[in-house]
Amino acid sequence: MDILEKLEVLGAAAKYDVSCASSGSKREKHFGIGSTFSAGICHSWTDDGRCISLLKVLFTNECIFDCAYCINRKSNDIKRATFTPQEVAELTINFYKRNYIEGLFLSSAIKNSPDWTMEMLFRTVWLLRFKYQFNGYIHVKAIPYASLDLIKKTGFLADRMSVNIELPSEKSLRLLCPNKTKESILKPMEFITKVAEEEKNFVSAGQSTQMIIGATDDSDYKIINLSQHLYKKFKLKRVYYSAYTPVNHDPRILKVESPPLLREHRLYQADWLIRVYNFSADELFKSKDENLDLEVDPKVMWALRNLDRFPVEVNRASYEELIRVPGVGIKSARRIIKNRVFHSLDFEDLKKMGVVLKRAKYFLTCNGKTFERFLIDLPPEKIKQKLIDKNSLQRPRQLSFFDREVFTSVITGEI
Amino acid sequence: MYKIFLYDGTFEGFMCVAFHIISEGIGKDRAIIVSKNEYQPMFIDSVREVQNDLKTFLEMRKGIIEKADNSVFKKIYYAFLSDTKDKEGYILRYLFFVFEHGKKIKYLYSDDLVNAVEKMAKKVSREIGKYMGLMRFYETDKGFLYAKFEPENDIIKPVAFFFKGRLNEFNWVIHDVRRNKVALYDRKKLQFLNNNNLKFEVIKEDEMVQMLWKKYFKSMAIEERKNLKLQQQNMPKKYWKYLVEKN
Repeated sequence: MDILEKLEVLGAAAKYDVSCASSGSKREKHFGIGSTFSAGICHSWTDDGRCISLLKVLFTNECIFDCAYCINRKSNDIKRATFTPQEVAELTINFYKRNYIEGLFLSSAIKNSPDWTMEMLFRTVWLLRFKYQFNGYIHVKAIPYASLDLIKKTGFLADRMSVNIELPSEKSLRLLCPNKTKESILKPMEFITKVAEEEKNFVSAGQSTQMIIGATDDSDYKIINLSQHLYKKFKLKRVYYSAYTPVNHDPRILKVESPPLLREHRLYQADWLIRVYNFSADELFKSKDENLDLEVDPKVMWALRNLDRFPVEVNRASYEELIRVPGVGIKSARRIIKNRVFHSLDFEDLKKMGVVLKRAKYFLTCNGKTFERFLIDLPPEKIKQKLIDKNSLQRPRQLSFFDREVFTSVITGEI
Repeated sequence: MYKIFLYDGTFEGFMCVAFHIISEGIGKDRAIIVSKNEYQPMFIDSVREVQNDLKTFLEMRKGIIEKADNSVFKKIYYAFLSDTKDKEGYILRYLFFVFEHGKKIKYLYSDDLVNAVEKMAKKVSREIGKYMGLMRFYETDKGFLYAKFEPENDIIKPVAFFFKGRLNEFNWVIHDVRRNKVALYDRKKLQFLNNNNLKFEVIKEDEMVQMLWKKYFKSMAIEERKNLKLQQQNMPKKYWKYLVEKN
């Protein structure tokens, strides 16, 4: 099989991996080719609107496992291919020097054995770093059941490592992933967290994970609660959510006509509230089997349930209070606080600062005044009616392009 | 009466003019700054040409950084690179503000002039950011990687400095086709040239890699999530002309 055909098979096989981030690396620069850029860079956008930042490929799509949701599972009759380390390294360099990509995202199915697979990933990354003196971004998967030694060796050469958590609960994992256990995923995850805390230059851009949503009946509460746990316990940089695309017909999987993109979008918004806005899963949800409101974003959903905390007075409120107002982001809140020292703010000022008054006007006062008369004291259903996001059904969001505050230009993922 | 100041069109030259206007106490509303090659003489004008002088420029830069900070200086530089009409007028008035308010300038969001300059700078910084990702280099017969682009703003300098860090191990040329400006890097020095007589042939091996990239680009799209509108929103059509994957 020639390299063109391999790239087609193994690129397509990796497209369901959602991480595209190439940001946040603090690895020390050596001599050689290229560099990393702390904000990350998008190099193109696919026809589905997702950013391409890295050459994202599987090393092989031959798998000894048989996970129900996975296109590459053993029992599927599909075209199979395996790269050599040399091929991946050359592709990476060739794409990199033409500025097609920011680096490499290397994942893999499990061929022969977990250790064999991990060894191949290690050799590929080793070639790139030492033979080609490549200094760009490398994200590499840690393979479940692979020896921790191999994972450690690889982590010293990578900017980021990730172990996929796959599904939001142990029950779902048992149902759909007969060859993986909770331990086989959490053990390497915990190990990477531990080594990263102890050693310099080990996965300096941190660790991430991803899970599939919509293939099982797990609630949004369960999902967000799990993420909260992963951020706290394993210090993960990001949890990615991937709306399940029906690639297999398997009776164990919930029937989905098309991937639940809006739900995915709401989960990213809720995740953002947990990670950056100091919300907790318990605050966002009333009960454990609850889902996010698809019609409005999670911050609006929360605010409508807690109207007794509003309106917030712009010229007096604390930073923590301000960032909880729908339509006020971190950036606007900081601007409000810096600017109100000089003079008291009115709604015109807020507009110029980038506050989204469409949402914020129901929850704010400026010097005791509301944006229009009678705005406050509206019942929650009325406010919700006005805030229903009519576009959201057609406009699923891809990852966190708009979440950026540090750097204003083009960027991939995250802080 | 207005006084007209001519300068050589460079950022350094502009800063020298601004220095004279501010230090000689000429009011911000009495001076007009025009680039030499854009000026059409009228005999009633009182015209003065200011020479570009590195010492004055550095002094001005130091002044801005001391009074405000580096980020404000960078903002001014980016705003200057924008293709906004009468950018000189905006930035001059902004400079008066900087010397009046210092650091506070960053928080005067409600002021229209500050807002306008911020917007200019932001547009430029956004375009630079886009081209960090969307510039495409081709391997050529002369051993140089070669990239063409047609930016709206005059951003070849900051873009080239980015690639100096990125493609440090290669020889390369970036060509702003619109302004016919060239940045040339030979693994030692980065030079900016005006006239481009460089002719490059793309080599066979590059065509192979282009094909690989196109194949990869196609295979990455998930049919069930197809969203061409979102693609265009992130990657507007004006960038497609020189994009391998879009041709």
